[in-house]
Amino acid sequence: MSDLADKQAAFMRAILDDGAPLPEGWSERQNAGMGVYRGNYRGSLMSALEATFERTCRYVGEGVFKRAAAHHLIANPPASWTIDDAGAGFDETCADLFAENPEVAEIAWLEWAMQDAATGPDVEPMAADEFARATAGFDDGQWTDLRLEFLPRATARVLDHNLTALWNALTGEGPDLPGAERQPKGCIVWREGERPTFVSQEPDNARAFAAMQGGASYGEVIAMLAGDEPDSAAVQDAAMRAGGLLGGWLQEGMIATLNA
Amino acid sequence: MARDQDMIDPFGGFGLGLRRQHYANFIESDVPVDFVEVISENYMVDGGRPLRILDEVRERYPVIMHGVSLSIGSADGLDTEYLARLKRLEQLIDPLWVSDHLCWTRTSAHNSHDLLPLPLTQEALQAVCANIDRAQDALGRAMLFENPSSYLTFPEDEMSEWEFLTEMTRRTGCYLLLDVNNIYVSASNHGFSAEDYLAGLPLDRVRQIHLAGHDPATPERDIIIDTHDREVCDDVWALYAKAIGMIEQPVATMIERDDSIPPLPDLLTELDRARGLALEPA
Repeated sequence: MSDLADKQAAFMRAILDDGAPLPEGWSERQNAGMGVYRGNYRGSLMSALEATFERTCRYVGEGVFKRAAAHHLIANPPASWTIDDAGAGFDETCADLFAENPEVAEIAWLEWAMQDAATGPDVEPMAADEFARATAGFDDGQWTDLRLEFLPRATARVLDHNLTALWNALTGEGPDLPGAERQPKGCIVWREGERPTFVSQEPDNARAFAAMQGGASYGEVIAMLAGDEPDSAAVQDAAMRAGGLLGGWLQEGMIATLNA
Repeated sequence: MARDQDMIDPFGGFGLGLRRQHYANFIESDVPVDFVEVISENYMVDGGRPLRILDEVRERYPVIMHGVSLSIGSADGLDTEYLARLKRLEQLIDPLWVSDHLCWTRTSAHNSHDLLPLPLTQEALQAVCANIDRAQDALGRAMLFENPSSYLTFPEDEMSEWEFLTEMTRRTGCYLLLDVNNIYVSASNHGFSAEDYLAGLPLDRVRQIHLAGHDPATPERDIIIDTHDREVCDDVWALYAKAIGMIEQPVATMIERDDSIPPLPDLLTELDRARGLALEPA
């Protein structure tokens, strides 16, 4: 490592850690200057987290949020060129810090997913009539093998809470916030035009979405919904439910293309 | 290596930084500016609203790309992914020019997201010039680099900042973005003469000037901090008048505000003051 690289590594350590030793020969003046750089580092990153996790901040309160954000930044000093990435994994930090209030981590996850979707590649969703034309001649085997690509940066997860009412309240400026309703929900995040959005529906919706996003075929999703050792009625019911989910994804504009 | 073939023609005019709070102003009306400057990193994304806005803005105004994360002073070299994204944006919007800062922001492990100071040594100069060569080669054009504001100097410094910048432009063929407020801040913090700084620079390499506000020293803190959160102070205006009187070619002058962003008319009023100083007879 060059002398300059050594010096920059030491400078960075001193910014990240107040307790790190300052270079030998530094005067009070240089120590004071380092204080400004430390303040700038913390201030800009804290602002970035506050902007990304505005609702999480409002939910837990500013002071509590700042302590959680500081904890996150100490444990996860940024490595990416974009400051927007400083919030990566903040939901996991919240899961550790707010174990008694698991909805906090879920709000943070949702805010992160919404931010991520906002700047994904621009892709037009597949229109219902386009989908109908593409699948018009499908036989059973083709339906079974059907695979979907969703819009870029769309994501799905089963949450332990129904966040819809709380999210809407956190978006407004009213003084009263409803509690998080403890009820497992499948949450899917995607972008409608330029606007990130989400739906909170039955958990199977998110499970099926995630499975197909991971490469599962439509037939495999039906099998997943049917459960272990299903009878023919269960398979038929699963096929009906899968059809409903597929129709919903199409209606909402989440599907980019299909791979028959 | 100096890139004489990539000359940047002087462009005279007065502009503002494009900030989210003013998107609607810039795309729905004719704002009286000659150019807008965008923070490159805000648009180095895959899609969505920022790129659509930028596309609309560039149809109405010439655009300058100004980055904060190139980290041209990194001993570890440049971030390949960053450089590829910068080039993609440059090709997308064909800016008047691309600029960044004489500073470093990252090591191989971490990113400070702050403009950190370089020791003014031959070793640092060599590292900076090698990185500039690589960046200019990647972009296929010469770049501008901005003099930073700084809060400490290093005991091992071997030259002044203006000597460093002069040699940097000579070796690489890059141009300068002169931040007059940064000169004022650093001169106050380190006790050198702002006039000596200006006189020591290759002013023929200056293509753009930034003007911004700073947080003055206090009884408790004798360091001035470059904050970009308030109006340009009278001392900086006076230094701008001197600088503009010393630079012979047209330059692009801009008010740079990054925090406590006021309504657009307030910034246009400040820009009018720059116009008045620059255009008044010597």
